[in-house]
Parts: sequence; structure tokens; C-alpha cells
Amino acid sequence: MKLAKSEQDRETLIDPSSKAWEGTPAQALSLSPVPLEAQPNEYIRASWATRSYGKTGEVSATALADNDRLYVRLQWEDDPAPNEEFPDAAALVLGNGDLGTLGSSEQPLSLWYWAADRDEPLSLTASGPGVFARNGDNGISGAADLSNGRWSVVIAGPLAALAGDQLGVVVWNGSNQERAGLAAVSSWVALEKE
Amino acid sequence: MNIQAQNRQIAWVVDLNKCIGCQTCSVACKVLWTREDSEKAQWWCSVNTQPGEGTPRGWENMGGGFEEQTHRAKPGEQPTPADFGGGFEFNHEEVFYGGSAGKVHLEPQAPREGRWAMNWDEDQGAGEWPNSYYFYMPRLCNHCSNAPCLRSCPSKAIYKRDDGLVVRDEDACLGARFCMEACPYKKIYFNYDRHVAQHCIGCFPRIEAGVAPACVRQCPGRAVFVGWLDEEQSPVSRLVNEWKVALPLHPEYGTRPNVYYVPPLSPHPLNEDMSVNTEKSRIPPEYLESLFGSEVHGALDFLNAEMAKTREGKTSELMKTLIAYKWQELLGPFAVDPAEIIATG
Repeated sequence: MKLAKSEQDRETLIDPSSKAWEGTPAQALSLSPVPLEAQPNEYIRASWATRSYGKTGEVSATALADNDRLYVRLQWEDDPAPNEEFPDAAALVLGNGDLGTLGSSEQPLSLWYWAADRDEPLSLTASGPGVFARNGDNGISGAADLSNGRWSVVIAGPLAALAGDQLGVVVWNGSNQERAGLAAVSSWVALEKE
Repeated sequence: MNIQAQNRQIAWVVDLNKCIGCQTCSVACKVLWTREDSEKAQWWCSVNTQPGEGTPRGWENMGGGFEEQTHRAKPGEQPTPADFGGGFEFNHEEVFYGGSAGKVHLEPQAPREGRWAMNWDEDQGAGEWPNSYYFYMPRLCNHCSNAPCLRSCPSKAIYKRDDGLVVRDEDACLGARFCMEACPYKKIYFNYDRHVAQHCIGCFPRIEAGVAPACVRQCPGRAVFVGWLDEEQSPVSRLVNEWKVALPLHPEYGTRPNVYYVPPLSPHPLNEDMSVNTEKSRIPPEYLESLFGSEVHGALDFLNAEMAKTREGKTSELMKTLIAYKWQELLGPFAVDPAEIIATG
């Protein structure tokens, strides 16, 4: 995926519908469910044994950077079913490790986690599916727009946090009660800096 | 006072023969711990009429806990805000200042259909006159020894302290709510503003200062005991371990709860001709068995036998303990007067 350089200001870049995103090619990423057998405890495995999750099959991603921040816009089809308890959510994953299981205790990954019901994204350390720990304020920001049945979410954070020039994407379908490790995840995508 | 202990278990015993359903325990807890706007519908301690649907509505049919045969985790439902109900706004303005005295009454401002709240079915009970029956049952987190909430949490936000209390690190809780599904007692609530689940903390700051939990200390009926389960001569230990008259609620859930109940005795029912049926109890023993397991029959027999002893002028240690002539005995080692505690920090 191309990481295009932008001269726009932060306010413009964080806006998912700004013109800054036009002209930069988006990449379609296919997502698959985080495996049931990798879920961290018996309760979750038992209660989801006969239910499907990770229902978001594809997300469109675009990446921009200014001098010190990375901005990634994710777009996907919203499930029209109501969100009764859980929010739709998405995260960028940074680091090196097993993305399919959202990290491990030996090789934890960083999550820049946006959720529709939170004012600000969270910075999390992921040591497995749903095995998340909150970090302090790591300068993560985000903005979202839901129109015409499609989510458009920009998640941004310090460019220096980008390890190994690769990125992963996770999407939770809140209408399907997806949360924690019950999610759809991409493969690692290499970022080609301009 | 250092009363923290390694691998001990604090337990509660509630004598259902003495609970008068006054909700003082509920309110004592409420004013201490859940006063945020986002906690309006949270009642970490609540008293319900039994038989009844309880709080959250129909909680006994929501799953969770462990399978009886296999001891495997049993999927459960997450109670919804509608299941908990409550948190109502009331028409105070209209009633007090609206000029309609006597015509309008105080009423929740919520649609009548499906309205529910903690203790909404108060005193409905079951049975037909003249043999209708009910009793009151306080419920709080059971601080289980095999806590399904703890085992279901992916972010390991819930842990069991050395004193046996099951508590949650709210900074580690990310709101996944598997705990709410896995708890078969449905005593975990969600704070939608702060995105964290919450439950009774056993008043651990009081415990650490030697003060009994608010639900125990404030009970005007002397109905609730607290103490160490393994302290042999304590009322809690004697009622649970020695006399076996205090029983866990729904032991079949497999969580090994640490709130125990002395089951309610009841008068004999009346026959159709209004004569007394001395063969039966008005509260059907099978109903009590559905709550407390088959041990309840032995417990009721023993309670009845000990009561009979006192009627014959004999002494019963059990009856003395349950009567609690000295109310401080209810508090076990947590008898420090909270008024003596000087808050710091």
C-alpha cells in the first residue's frame, strides 16, 4: 500500500471526507475471522462455537503522512442491523508478530483502536485475541463518518510508531456483537513510502 | 489493623427469616458506591420478593456459570438495560407544584408497557389465598470461589483478592462484557458512559479498615452476617460449616458462591375447610430446593428441631446465633465503627 506524503494540515487530514484523500489510491484488503480456537478462554470459545463472526470481509484502506504523523482512512460497508449493545469498531495494527491472532504474549502488537461510541481512539497493546491492555495517551486521534451505509474512519498517530513499515487492519461488526478477539483481521500490508 | 489474609475467604450469611425487605442494604450500598448518573440503574445489592422475576428480570433463565455434568463454561445472556429497568425520572414537578393535587400521583416517566425496575414485583409472590406466600432475598455479588466472570474476561481485568473478594481493575476493563454473560447471578452492570462493567466490590476499602460492608452494617433486621469462612468459632463458619443451615444460592451453577442463605421457615397452609395442614409448609420445600439445592431439607429440619428445643426451655446455640442478641456479632472481625475512621488522601 502506498504511503503518500501530504502537505495538508492535521485538521484536513483527520477528516474522512476531506479532499486530501482524493487522488491517493485506496487498497482493498480482505479480512478473515480471528480463529475461534485462538480465543483466550473457554467461555468465549463455548459461547461462539455455533455463531459466526468476523463478518466484515473487506475494507478499503488509504494511507497518508505528514512530517510526523500517519493517517489511515478505512472504509467498509456498515451492517444495517442495529447496534444494540456493541459499537462498530476498527483498529490499525502496528508491530511484528502474528497478526492473525492479534499478537501473542511473546510478541505483542500495538493497536490504534477506534470505536463508534468513544470520543477518542485508544492505544492498546494486544497480546492475543482480546487480550488487550490500555496504554497511556500515545497521541492517537480519529474521526469517523457514516453515510450511505458506509463507514469512513480516519485513525492517526505518530509516524515514529510505525515498526517494520507494515500495517494490519481489524474490524469489529458491533451489530453482530463482535468485540475483543471476535473480529475480522487482514494480513500484514507493506507500506511503500513515497 | 491488618486484617488482609492470604487465601482466605470472606463470606456473607443472610438469614431469610429475618429479612424484612426494607432495602436498607440496597440503599446503603447505593449511596456509597453507585451515585454517578451513568450508574442510576445499578443496584449492586438488591432485595427481591421470592418467588419473583427479580433483577434483572428473569435472571435465573439467562444462563452462565458451568454445566452441572461436565463443569464446562455455559454460555449466558447479557442482561440489557431493559432487563435491569429502573433509572426512572419521576413527575415530581407535576405532583408537587402542578395544581393537580389528588388527581395525579407520583409515577415513573416511562411507558407503562414493559416497565420494570429493581424490586418491581415486590410482594407478589406466589400461591392462592389463603395459602399465598413470599419472602425477601437480598442479592449481591457472590464473590465466587470459581468465578466465571474472572475466567471469561479476555483482558484479565477481574481478579480474586487474598481475602476472597472478586474485584475489577476498571483501567484494565475494556467493556467486552463477557463477564455479564458468564455470571449466572447477573450481578454485573455496564456503565455506558465509562465503557466499563461494574459490580459489588465487597466494600473492600471498609474491609481493609476493619469495617463491615455497608449492606451488613446497616441492616436493621440483624439479618446479615459477615466473616471469614474458615474461622471455626465465627457465626459465619458455624452456620455454614458446622450447622449447615446456611446454603449457597443455586449451587448447581457451579461457581461456589460465598453468599449463603438461611432458608425461610413458614407456617402451615390451610386446608379448604380452613383447618391447619400440619403435614406441609406454606412455602413449598420443592421451591426452596430449586433455589438452594437438596441440602435445604436437612437445613429446614435442623432449624425446626432447634426451635422446638428452645420452646421446651432448652438452649440452642444455633438459635442464639441467629437471634444475634449482640449485633456486633454479625460483623465478625469487621466491627470497627466507621465513624472512627479518618479518611485520608
